[in-house]
Amino acid sequence: MPTENGATKVKDWRNYDRVLLPPIQDLHKLEVYENEYEGYEAIRSILGDSEQDPEAVTNEMKAANVRGRGGAGFNAGLKWSFMPEPDDRPRYLACNADESEPGTFKDRQLMEYNPHLLFEGILIANYAMQIDACYIYTRGEYVDWIMEMQRELDKLYDKGYLGENIFGSDFSTEIILHKGAGAYICGEETGMLESLEGKRGYPRTKPPFPAQNGLWGYPTTVNNVETLAHAVLVMRHGADWFSGIGAESHPGPTLYGISGHVERPGVYEYPTGMLITDLIDKVAGGVRGGKDLKAVVPGGASTPPLRADMIEGVTMDAESLTEAGSLMGTAGILVLDEDTDMVSWLRRVAHFFQHESCGQCTPCREGTGWIEQVLARMDEGKGRIRDLDLLLDLSNQIEGRALHRGRLHRRRRARPAGGSGGTGVSGRPIASFSRRMFSLLSAIRQTVMRKT
Amino acid sequence: MPEITVDGETITFENEEEPKLLQFCLDQGVELPHFCYHPALSIPANCRQCLVEVGTPARDRESGELERDEDGNVKINWMPELQTSCSISASDGMVVKTHRTSEKVRRGQKDNLEFLLANHPLDCPICDQAGHCPLQIQSYKYGPEGSRFEFRKIHKPKRVRLGPNVTLDAERCINCTRCTRFTEEISGSDQLTIIERGVRNYPLTAPGEEFDDPYSMNTIDICPVGALTSSDSRFQARAWEMSRTPSITTTNAKGSNCFYHVRDNLIMDVTPRPNDAVNKFWLADEDRLDYKRFNNDRPEGPQVRRKGTLQSASWEEVHEAAADLVREAGEKVLFLGSARATVEDNYLLKRLADAVDADAPRFIPHTEPGHGDGWLRTDDRTPNRQGVERLGFRPVDEKMLRSQLDAGEYAAIYVLEDDPVASGLFEAEDLKDVPIALHHYNTTNETLPVANAALPAATVVETVGTYVSEDGHAQRVRPAKEIKGTSRILTQAMGAARQDTHGTPFDKWHNDQNRVDCRPGWVSLPAVAEALDRDLSHEGPKQVMGEVAGNVDAFDGATYDAMGLAGVRLEAESDRATAA
Repeated sequence: MPTENGATKVKDWRNYDRVLLPPIQDLHKLEVYENEYEGYEAIRSILGDSEQDPEAVTNEMKAANVRGRGGAGFNAGLKWSFMPEPDDRPRYLACNADESEPGTFKDRQLMEYNPHLLFEGILIANYAMQIDACYIYTRGEYVDWIMEMQRELDKLYDKGYLGENIFGSDFSTEIILHKGAGAYICGEETGMLESLEGKRGYPRTKPPFPAQNGLWGYPTTVNNVETLAHAVLVMRHGADWFSGIGAESHPGPTLYGISGHVERPGVYEYPTGMLITDLIDKVAGGVRGGKDLKAVVPGGASTPPLRADMIEGVTMDAESLTEAGSLMGTAGILVLDEDTDMVSWLRRVAHFFQHESCGQCTPCREGTGWIEQVLARMDEGKGRIRDLDLLLDLSNQIEGRALHRGRLHRRRRARPAGGSGGTGVSGRPIASFSRRMFSLLSAIRQTVMRKT
Repeated sequence: MPEITVDGETITFENEEEPKLLQFCLDQGVELPHFCYHPALSIPANCRQCLVEVGTPARDRESGELERDEDGNVKINWMPELQTSCSISASDGMVVKTHRTSEKVRRGQKDNLEFLLANHPLDCPICDQAGHCPLQIQSYKYGPEGSRFEFRKIHKPKRVRLGPNVTLDAERCINCTRCTRFTEEISGSDQLTIIERGVRNYPLTAPGEEFDDPYSMNTIDICPVGALTSSDSRFQARAWEMSRTPSITTTNAKGSNCFYHVRDNLIMDVTPRPNDAVNKFWLADEDRLDYKRFNNDRPEGPQVRRKGTLQSASWEEVHEAAADLVREAGEKVLFLGSARATVEDNYLLKRLADAVDADAPRFIPHTEPGHGDGWLRTDDRTPNRQGVERLGFRPVDEKMLRSQLDAGEYAAIYVLEDDPVASGLFEAEDLKDVPIALHHYNTTNETLPVANAALPAATVVETVGTYVSEDGHAQRVRPAKEIKGTSRILTQAMGAARQDTHGTPFDKWHNDQNRVDCRPGWVSLPAVAEALDRDLSHEGPKQVMGEVAGNVDAFDGATYDAMGLAGVRLEAESDRATAA
């Protein structure tokens, strides 16, 4: 049952009413979005209300404690407040829609079924930070939805919701849809900025951070699709409503992308803080074929996996998962059943990172390929016991020494909720390699013993 | 003054602009291994080799006071991970541990080299970079003893013609991006980029494009491995077989500093020598491709015209012949100095002209409008025009000179190290009846067929002397290769110049091969004067230049000792005029 202010507590998840992806036919169309979803009311009231100056919007967002849904989980309102004071330079918002982490496919649902929620969220963010233009950097493979979104964006320009003096106010802003060319690294926020500038998607060294030196050297904020969509909900229902949903320290509705060995894989909208066991057994219909669970990767392929015996009582929020030894990431839950060959699975993951390593810095460029080859040898039954030590060694040689990883790693320690707003990409793949090695070591060891 | 502690040693520094830690350590003589960092380029921090441990003093958040432990020592906050020193600014109170004191750093550097070498081919026995390869050297010093990489290495193209002058061996590339950054940030041609991803990537041009940047070959020098090689000199000589002599290039009037690499008295390669006042770290391609004229088409000793044909002669005979020619013409000798010859030789020519009461020497300018680019290439294609102008020589007036010649005003021409016919000053026909004494470098000299006394001259790589660049920078050249005959001055100068990593004055490959029978102007000009009973004797070019610096205001301060390796910036002519 909804509580007094209408928010759903986690234990009532069965009664949760979907707000990000409500069951409304053709919601992706502007007419439907406006008529059946109170669409563009939030931004209209902000622009029409003299009380709601940009700072008030940012403060509301900050108070709602919307933690970035791109993986790093940093307070989005706080991030908005890092933008320098407006001056005569252009200011940009870059929406990270380059969803390319294996096991992550939630943003796609938003862009397919409720793109106007994203657009309205961008308008709110643009107003709050006084941004001139927002670039939506979309994963190039989402070509159908990109075309659909462009059609809807054209409608917004025609109706005066975008461009000069939107909704008849004195605020002008733009949204530009950009299609990526299929590189995982371009989902890392600075790699994405480089790519938007027409350059090779090599991540930049930080600092300076994008807020100081972003797109073409101008102040830029990078936010994930889902994060921006939440801005609409916050402004529509208020910060209290939002922060009352789900886990206390990591509130709000969220999209769980559940994949792997479950009966009903898919994207499910529920409050944060759900029990992982509930999500697997009750939401997704349990492990496929009634088998036992072996492991869960809770937040996309770059978050450390948890063994079946490690997930008892663990909930889907940053605190609980960190305690369990993993990360919230993008809430893309990958379920592995008891028959999974962990070496084989790890080899596949390693192949992905090897293939997607941008090659800018040495440890990741050389290390990921090497790790894959060791795993391939093990997977083919030719492994040696010393390969296990080698894998651990290589993982440690990469962790903390690569270019953008090392920095993020440091930042994470200094500030547990450190944010960077990538689609799960930021910072994780390599840093967590090592941890994955640890948590999978026993599984690997068993496999090796069996095979040799 | 801010101070920083490196391996327990406290060093103070000026805090005008916070230096990067790596550069700071290098300046202090602390070697830190690195590949991608280059002082003239941006800092991508991508090779991850220059790792150090860094700590900063702990400060109380509220008071800003330094925190101290019980013993009163400042507490240090160590960064949890190793840091790349290239990208960190040295700040006051910083404490740094390098591989000299930290096992963690040693381990980090070793691990990184293991990665770098994992897919690096074992080409060292056939690689041009071997012997002066940062990867090779640093692997020996800081790398692992063996490799744990037991798999097939990545294979990439071995011979990619990037452009007319640069050939890429993609397998050797360690992806430091120095080359792409050079084309982006220094030469501005943006012709190179990294293609592919991860371990498969290497630098390449856009499809259908050529790497024809006039400065393309600098990428070869800054390449820390043997990936980018000179199409011209690859596989010609090993680094340790060559002696390296600091000198300057003479293709244009910039006076870019360079090293001449020599084996068996043949120039094998030309590479830039850093000089902040002239060419920084760089060299134009034309400068380094221009060396073949030092090796090929060189004259086989002096020649004298007898019965209408040029015949070999002894040096005494040719000096005598040149003296005869001057003596017979009396004061009606046209002396042509040269913007290609050294200041010393031109000065001696001027004194010879004075001694026989002839007109002051003039010189032939060689300019090519539009060739210059405001950087290291100039319109002027000679190395020493400033030098001869500062000696008071005027450029020749073609029309006037021809009419003077037709009117019989000149009974002989004395040419120092130039080619009046090839430069279009005269037709060979016009000179049939005028006796010519010619100091020449190459047998391709078009004035040679009409010369009466031909005196082979030592080129810039065989002599000692001074050139003055377009910007008024006076610089010494040193002999890189030996000539026939013995000269104590040349041998000494060569010995002093070759104290470098690749050889000593007593290298075993100092031999008689490929020695050219030629003489510097400061040897042959006094000999000609002596045959004329005039005295031009001197104690060597050093003394000649000292005399020039003392007697000619425009060369004030340009002594050998002052010039050293970096040269001396002379006062501009215009400044002197206003001062006077």
